[in-house]
Amino acid sequence: MSENKVELKLLNPRGVIEAQPMSAPNPRIADLVGKRIGLYWNSKPGMDNFYKVFEELLKEKYPTATTTLLRGAFLIRDDDAETWLPQIDTFVYGVGD
Amino acid sequence: MAGTVKLEKLGKPGVFINCTTFDDDAKSASADNGIPTLRRVKISSQEFYKLRGKVETVRPLVESVFDDIINALTKPLTPEEANPSQDMVEQEDQVEVSVTAESYPAAAEEFNRIFLENRWGDGLPLVPPTPERVKWMLSGTKRSPDEALGKINPKQGAATIEKIAINAVMAGAKPEYLPVIIAVIEALTDENFDDLHILASAGSFNLLTVVSGPIAEEIGMESGIGFMGHGWRPNNTIGRAIRLSTLNIGQTWPGKNDMALTGRISPHTFFTFCENADFSPWEPYHASRGFKADESCVTVGSVHGESQLNHFYGGMIGTWTAEGVLDRMVEDLVRTDRRGYFMWGTKGVGKYLGSGGGAMNHMIILFPELVVELEKMGFDQKGLQDEIYKRTAIPYDDLTPAERKSIQTAIELGVIPADRKAVFAEALKPGGKVPVLISPENLHFFVAGGAPGCAFSFNYYRIPPYNRTALMTKRITGATLTKAGSA
Repeated sequence: MSENKVELKLLNPRGVIEAQPMSAPNPRIADLVGKRIGLYWNSKPGMDNFYKVFEELLKEKYPTATTTLLRGAFLIRDDDAETWLPQIDTFVYGVGD
Repeated sequence: MAGTVKLEKLGKPGVFINCTTFDDDAKSASADNGIPTLRRVKISSQEFYKLRGKVETVRPLVESVFDDIINALTKPLTPEEANPSQDMVEQEDQVEVSVTAESYPAAAEEFNRIFLENRWGDGLPLVPPTPERVKWMLSGTKRSPDEALGKINPKQGAATIEKIAINAVMAGAKPEYLPVIIAVIEALTDENFDDLHILASAGSFNLLTVVSGPIAEEIGMESGIGFMGHGWRPNNTIGRAIRLSTLNIGQTWPGKNDMALTGRISPHTFFTFCENADFSPWEPYHASRGFKADESCVTVGSVHGESQLNHFYGGMIGTWTAEGVLDRMVEDLVRTDRRGYFMWGTKGVGKYLGSGGGAMNHMIILFPELVVELEKMGFDQKGLQDEIYKRTAIPYDDLTPAERKSIQTAIELGVIPADRKAVFAEALKPGGKVPVLISPENLHFFVAGGAPGCAFSFNYYRIPPYNRTALMTKRITGATLTKAGSA
């Protein structure tokens, strides 16, 4: 380096992030005929209205499908998940954000 | 997003709906939680937020994404979705940057450009974290640079003493401040503390840091007039080191995964100050949390964002008496906390009962002259807690049927903790008075400011959305350059 140059060596301020084990989403169900669809509402405003319309449209297209609406925490609680999952085949997780 | 990942990991296929504004955040969170190819359907933020209030107004929006949702639930996974790889996760190498220029100002300018471009800065000029400067910063603590305190949300970056020191250098802090900064990060990374809500939420929630005990004076913190303002290197750079440490170690960025809609007020330093030990007749705050009065501690607390700072007057702002200030506190608490009764009868919005709403914690800043007057009236901290708790209770007969029902449900659900149930059961009767606070201990008094001073408060949920607590006190340890905090 030339005598007239200034060099700054700088340490990295970023936190080290441990790599997470990756997994894939679960295989999809083939279609919704006769299936139980869970609608999770994390309590933020307006998702109840969204789901009302969604249920109507679903009923038109899949008359034998059923829905179960669960209102709960932003991040579904363990006890809610435990009781809700056996009642459904697939789910929509709806958020106001 | 984390909820969808949780249900997928429990074996159910599903889809997450997110608004367009939160798309980067959702994508990043799905990867951070281990399923980068999680199925998501985007809906327009502009439309949803405006139209969601009524079934009929939101209908066209739902119709427009209905097929997307059905496809997300039924269309087989692509090979890429079924075989996610680490490449799908945004990862940063731990690169060290080197800058060469004709002069120091030019090198500093270039370093600042690079760091901000990398999103490693806070928008103000930074001090270069050279190895020499970081070593100098580390001279303020006995603790090993490799010691890991814990992880910072949202990306779970490891908070080591060295990383904190690097960020403290960038903030312009001095080595004698480092033990204070470390204690704050110890609180934020505590397994029970909810740092996620103040670092990432859309609600612009914020962080309050109060230093108490002799270290504040030893390092020159300002606690007089203007104590929350600019011009005080310890106050300002301790706060800024916390800002930079959370930004860099937790890896947040506005609009990407820090979704605070207005930003977080006092964004470069959070709210950072110390108690005024010289003029306070009371023991420092941390003594009320089980620490020895002569120890030095930090207390960190989440607070509401834009508008929840409440003034009770004092000094030259208005004619005041201690009784008058006390009356205003009581009026304010009744007004703000009664509004939360409706939430008491729900489980709340988080994992723990009563989270994210309903009953509150209040962090009340009292100025020294006021405390002297309160002392003359016979109040110590405990006595003042009890007085305000008692005076803010609402006569049962004034409660609406909905309020009574909500409080009764809170008793039955366990939102009101077991040790307080009897109090509320007894109060919830004709002739009774129902507290707006779960306990007198939800009032936290800090003595700060000069003469004249001003009393005001922040508030926040007694239980936060994502963890057990958002108010924590930690003892300052390991200091090498101050007598206080050296144990």
